[in-house]
Amino acid sequence: MCPNIINEKTGSHPSIRFEQIPIIPGPLSRFERIRSKLLEDVVTRTQNELSHGSLDILLGEALYTERLRLKRDHGNIFTRSRLKNDRALWGQVHGGLVKPAAEVDRHLLLQQVIRYYANEIGSHFDSRVYRFATRAVPWGFSWLLNAASVKRFLPWGMSESLESRLHIVGEVPALQSLAKKGTILLVPTHQSNIDSVLIGYIIYLMSLPPFAYGAGLNLFSNPILSFFMSRLGSYTVDRQKTNSIYKHTLKNYSTRILSEGIHSIFFPGGGRSRSGAIESKVKLGLLGTALEAQIEGLRSGNPSPRVFVVPMVSSYHFVLEASSLIEGYLADSGKHRFIHTDDDFWQPAQMLGFFWKLFSSQCGVTVRIGKPLDVFGNFVNEDGESIGPNGTIIQPSKWLTTRGEIRCEPQRDVEYTRELGARLVDRFHKDNTVLTSHLVAFAFFETLRKKYIDFDLFRFLRLSLPQRSIPYSDFLEAAEIYHKKLLNQAARGALFVADELQTGNTEAWVKDGLSQLGLLHDAAVVKVHDGVIWTEDMNLLYYYRNRLTGYGLSLLAEWEGNQTILGKNDSQGFLA
Amino acid sequence: MTLKDFWHNSKIGVMGGGSWGTVLANLASQNSREVRVWLRDEESVRLINSTRVHSAFHPHLQLNERVHAYHSLERFFDGGLQAVLWALPSSVCREQAQRVAPFLQGDEIILHATKGIEAGSLKRISEILTEELPCRRIGVLSGPNLANEMARGEPAAAAIASVFNEVCDAGQALLAGERFRIYREADVVGVEWAGALKNIFAIASGALDAMKLGWNSRAMLMTRGLAEMVRFGKVMGAQEATFLGLAGVGDLFATCSSPLSRNYRVGFQLAQGEKLDQVLAELGSTAEGVKTAQSVYEYAVARKIDMPITEGVYRLLTEKVPVLEVLHHLMSRPAG
Repeated sequence: MCPNIINEKTGSHPSIRFEQIPIIPGPLSRFERIRSKLLEDVVTRTQNELSHGSLDILLGEALYTERLRLKRDHGNIFTRSRLKNDRALWGQVHGGLVKPAAEVDRHLLLQQVIRYYANEIGSHFDSRVYRFATRAVPWGFSWLLNAASVKRFLPWGMSESLESRLHIVGEVPALQSLAKKGTILLVPTHQSNIDSVLIGYIIYLMSLPPFAYGAGLNLFSNPILSFFMSRLGSYTVDRQKTNSIYKHTLKNYSTRILSEGIHSIFFPGGGRSRSGAIESKVKLGLLGTALEAQIEGLRSGNPSPRVFVVPMVSSYHFVLEASSLIEGYLADSGKHRFIHTDDDFWQPAQMLGFFWKLFSSQCGVTVRIGKPLDVFGNFVNEDGESIGPNGTIIQPSKWLTTRGEIRCEPQRDVEYTRELGARLVDRFHKDNTVLTSHLVAFAFFETLRKKYIDFDLFRFLRLSLPQRSIPYSDFLEAAEIYHKKLLNQAARGALFVADELQTGNTEAWVKDGLSQLGLLHDAAVVKVHDGVIWTEDMNLLYYYRNRLTGYGLSLLAEWEGNQTILGKNDSQGFLA
Repeated sequence: MTLKDFWHNSKIGVMGGGSWGTVLANLASQNSREVRVWLRDEESVRLINSTRVHSAFHPHLQLNERVHAYHSLERFFDGGLQAVLWALPSSVCREQAQRVAPFLQGDEIILHATKGIEAGSLKRISEILTEELPCRRIGVLSGPNLANEMARGEPAAAAIASVFNEVCDAGQALLAGERFRIYREADVVGVEWAGALKNIFAIASGALDAMKLGWNSRAMLMTRGLAEMVRFGKVMGAQEATFLGLAGVGDLFATCSSPLSRNYRVGFQLAQGEKLDQVLAELGSTAEGVKTAQSVYEYAVARKIDMPITEGVYRLLTEKVPVLEVLHHLMSRPAG
């Protein structure tokens, strides 16, 4: 076990204060006042966008996909009333569509659907609840820490603080200064449901005003969480609704929020990373709203119309839902007939359990704020100016000028957003902090794989227990090699390594990694005994190993020569 | 304002007043208010502005009165340009882009017409421009466009490619006319690589002609050359179909068949036993194929891409192997 000493080096950025901080009022604080106008605005805009084609076809398609969704979704005790409302709405749409257009106005029908969606998406921010939550959460955290630590026989009176667990590093001051100059769109990687809570808390620690964020509708199925989340500024995103009316409404909502100057958070990967790897693809739909808000801001003559995109990468030694995520991933990519449904419930008890486990073990969480970008993916300096090629300052307004005017050009904007997306993937990989446990999992997986080189991935993952072991000395040897490669990459700026990894002492970091790796799963991810290292759960090992995907470190990368373009050669999502 | 109106009222810059740059300037002058051509050589600037003819390349081409030549970059960019046509050799691309960058606003459309790549790094011209210029809307114009024939106003066609539709719109609005058709392509990588790679086979074609070989051999060269282009292009991320278009096979036919082509002339004279330095000195302008062959060959070896003709051209250029030996070597390979 690693000692309970707070290492000077592992601390967070100095501007982070782990104490009670006054709540910073932001634009979200006045959300309640602008909410109804904002929603009305979203409805009008969406309707204007959609009114060009045939409304019968548009509504018919939405009706069809929604009916399919409702058929599949049986709901639970919390979601039943929502589903009932959904059914009622689509029943009405159905009833309207079978009648001739002269009798039932399609525009009104469309408006009804859009308004229904807008209300579902729209949040009810409540600054009183926010104040309560930000007080309750750290209190809860410290309570958990102390209570859990008692089991570890800490000397009486010594309380462990959150500081030693939560490392917030990177461009904290840049983010703080830009938040005053424009609208921030924070784009974190997504590994666990805990991210939402953690990010909310980190934002508070950085003395930033509250952010709005899109959270999966399934998180709202619990009434207590739902109460807090929607009042903490989150709006709902339902990935099950695939029809274009919903998508347009959601995009317009997000654009409106950003152009109101309300800082927002999206998880650009869509959902949690199921393979365990860092996002190698991002969803461009919602991301594009940053550009739209930027154009709107520039056109409106707003004095601080800038939108900044700030990547954020969190690294965990242990992800609670790892096993269901990786199973779902393997079932999908392996095209098994049975598709594992991965809509696991996030009960308060489970969350409590997570924090208990997190803090009772020696696990830490490292969160790195990446370099801020503009809506095209250029770096932004602390004054909010975009840095173009060769360090020159570029004017975003010029990049948005087409034929002499700042305007929306859908084709151009899609392309800009694609570039931003590619840039984000690159930044995510570069801002990743590799922890000791990730490298242990990677080195063990790769060494074991070398033994069964002719197996395909799925057969490899089904190795029997005796087959899954290698001599510990072989593993150490490989670990040293991968460690060297990793440090080389870190020196080149391709990634960051945790402080524990910045040592020449292989034994030391391997020991740390072994003690942390997925420690709290039921099955041991790695075990060492009598000079042999083995795993009890191949899928989990694969999950944690995947964190180092996309850096060209693996076996396969060596075979295929110098294909080390980050994240680009991972179409299969397997190795590389 | 409609697209046509906008470009009719625009000021266009052409970087490079070589043989293709001059023709492009004249084409663009049909569809815009003013065209400025930037040349490195001050004497040529003076001559063009006084005589309205660029005698070094096109003694018979009368330039439109809306075309003006400049030497100073400050004056060239003065008052802002709406589009810049980039017609400089690849060897000076990066250096010139760095010099030009401070003068650009960011809303200009950049369309390049360079058929080459950066030696060593194998970067495409649009990649270099993206790295150096403060502009994003960048595209490429390529195709079977031998400048001398274009100057005479013979019918021709070209391909234009950019990820931004507005670049293609601008290129078509500015350059297309009753004697010049411009087709849009989506595959920027393919169009740029096709334009660069075909120069290698133009050298080979010149060498074949120097040996007084007939149509069969040339057809063999072009077809097998095309196969190499596709093979290499796909590794670089191009789409196969692009090589069947104007920028691929179209340009390959024109360049391999015309004694007007500079790369062809290099191959022709080398095969007659002249020294490379001497040939290049005589040529006066750039033969992109010489450097391309070298970079591409080295990359192909490292990546194990099978490119026998390129290897032959490389050996002809650098190792001074006689052309007959190269041909013999190529013909005795096992056919797949």
